[in-house]
Amino acid sequence: MTLTGGTAPAGTDTPIISLRGIARTYDMGRITVPALRAVDLDVQSGEFLAIVGPSGSGKSTMMNIIGCLDRPSAGTYHLAGTPVEALDDDGLARVRSRTIGFVFQSYNLLPRTSALDNVATPLLYQGVSRKERVRRATAALERLGLGDRLDHEPNELSGGQQQRVAVARAIVTDPALVLADEPTGNLDTASGHDVLEVFRELHRAGRTIVLITHDAEVAEAASRQVHIRDGQLLA
Amino acid sequence: MSLIELVRLAFSRLRSGRMRAALTMLGVVIGVASVVALVGVGQGSTSNITARLSTLGTNLLTISAARANGGATSTLTLADATAIGSIPGIAGIAPESTTQATVGADGETTTTSIVGTTADYANVRAFDVWQGAFLTDTQVERRLRVAVLGATTATDLGLDESAIGTDITIGGIPFRLVGILQAKGGATFQDPDDQVVIPIGVAQKYFVGDDAVRTIGVSVAEQSQMTTVQALITALLRTRHGLAATDTADFNIFDQAQLLATASSITGTLTLLLGGIASIALIVGGIRIMNIMLVSVRERTREIGIRKAVGARGRDILAQFLIEALTLSVLGGLLGIALGLAVSALVARVGNISFAISPATLVVALLFSLAVGIVFGVWPARQAARLDPITALRYE
Repeated sequence: MTLTGGTAPAGTDTPIISLRGIARTYDMGRITVPALRAVDLDVQSGEFLAIVGPSGSGKSTMMNIIGCLDRPSAGTYHLAGTPVEALDDDGLARVRSRTIGFVFQSYNLLPRTSALDNVATPLLYQGVSRKERVRRATAALERLGLGDRLDHEPNELSGGQQQRVAVARAIVTDPALVLADEPTGNLDTASGHDVLEVFRELHRAGRTIVLITHDAEVAEAASRQVHIRDGQLLA
Repeated sequence: MSLIELVRLAFSRLRSGRMRAALTMLGVVIGVASVVALVGVGQGSTSNITARLSTLGTNLLTISAARANGGATSTLTLADATAIGSIPGIAGIAPESTTQATVGADGETTTTSIVGTTADYANVRAFDVWQGAFLTDTQVERRLRVAVLGATTATDLGLDESAIGTDITIGGIPFRLVGILQAKGGATFQDPDDQVVIPIGVAQKYFVGDDAVRTIGVSVAEQSQMTTVQALITALLRTRHGLAATDTADFNIFDQAQLLATASSITGTLTLLLGGIASIALIVGGIRIMNIMLVSVRERTREIGIRKAVGARGRDILAQFLIEALTLSVLGGLLGIALGLAVSALVARVGNISFAISPATLVVALLFSLAVGIVFGVWPARQAARLDPITALRYE
């Protein structure tokens, strides 16, 4: 499969992700649980970064904050030049819509919805016309070798195919950042390798990818790795 | 997201769960159908009464003798009628002396009411002549044995326009047939078309036996004068009958239009009441939609999380769920209108009940179901819009 196109990486002088002193604590009634403590991280445009850590290390919290699904308790976060720590819910939704493509461990496709409509959904929230949505979603699915599966619903697809539909959905908006959370976690080894190869292809095409995993072998696919433990990045 | 996109989304969702959608809508369908059917029947009887009002004669006062002391003879006389005729503002006056008799023509016979009256009767009681002519003043004054048949009576005797000028018998006495009345149709107690009209003097001489009249019909020129004329007639008759101020009147004056206006306002109230009861069914249908939508929000928590992750704002989710509820309620409303019309048409046909549905009723029913969708859709939609994307994505 050939993965070409996508935005050319911006200049490498400004990092696309810039975390400074990011902390996140959860309020559990009387006690507060720190999930992240003072994390600093820069990701350059066009990088393929793996954030590696065991469960409970705070990597899910990292993913939520980088993915603009959650706000940090302290610190500053610039995504593609935009300070996002102060945005309201609608502001975060707008950033997610325009700048980020998500790939989840459990695929998270809409049930009873065709592959085409699943991939087209992010475009729906950008206000793209139906005709253009179909055109771009078809192109994205074809790039991932699913051109003959457009009308299939998730339950008619294998795990590997579902994850590739999810990747197509992540790149259909041509986002500055693709954020993948344990994308191979639910897949057998062969499908897992297949999906990682897709990410490498996207990386070669110039896309910025952040992969979150507990699996050192999976992290090998990335061009750079950072390790997280107890809410802190290891030097 | 445009409205069209939202409606498309709602329809694809409803298609994927047809059975559930149908059952959810059922409450609104039944609610709207009962509003349409019950209001239709109510409006039907109201317009029926209004129609009947005009067939009775305009501005009609009916004076009837009160049978005080159980006396058999009427207290009203032809002289009373003549005296009333001099009151200003009266357009026509028709004293009536009524009895039953057998009418015969060419071997056919029928027993019907014989109404002895004057030439004004046609105007006062709003009868039109179909064939021939009505009684003339001359015929009434000279007490000629001429007769005008009601439409039903003519049909019963097998008479049509060719019979005008021939002889019929009433109680064995020959009469010349001079006219046949236009059918009026539909009355409450008595068919107004089943009667024979003859000059009052003739009726008193051959059938009643005295000069008493049973009722006097008075047509008042102007609606606004009804009350005044009624008061003048009362005063006149009290004087003529030698009644002291404290005596009970030996006659009644009856304003039929007034009665029917009252009846009409009663059925109007009834229509409102029926519509109100049916609306309760509609509200229950709305609550049902709310219930299902709340269940739906819970079941689709993960879908909501996914949509938010890929860029949906709270208001996009709100709009999606609200439009879904609205689609259910409006679709239910349209089906309800169709069902309501079908049921009322069936009831009207089988039960011989008149029913009328104004376009306004249908518009109101539709707007009402729209309102139900909004009122009962907003809360579940807000619940959906407020979900936290992280929690929603993790929801199993």
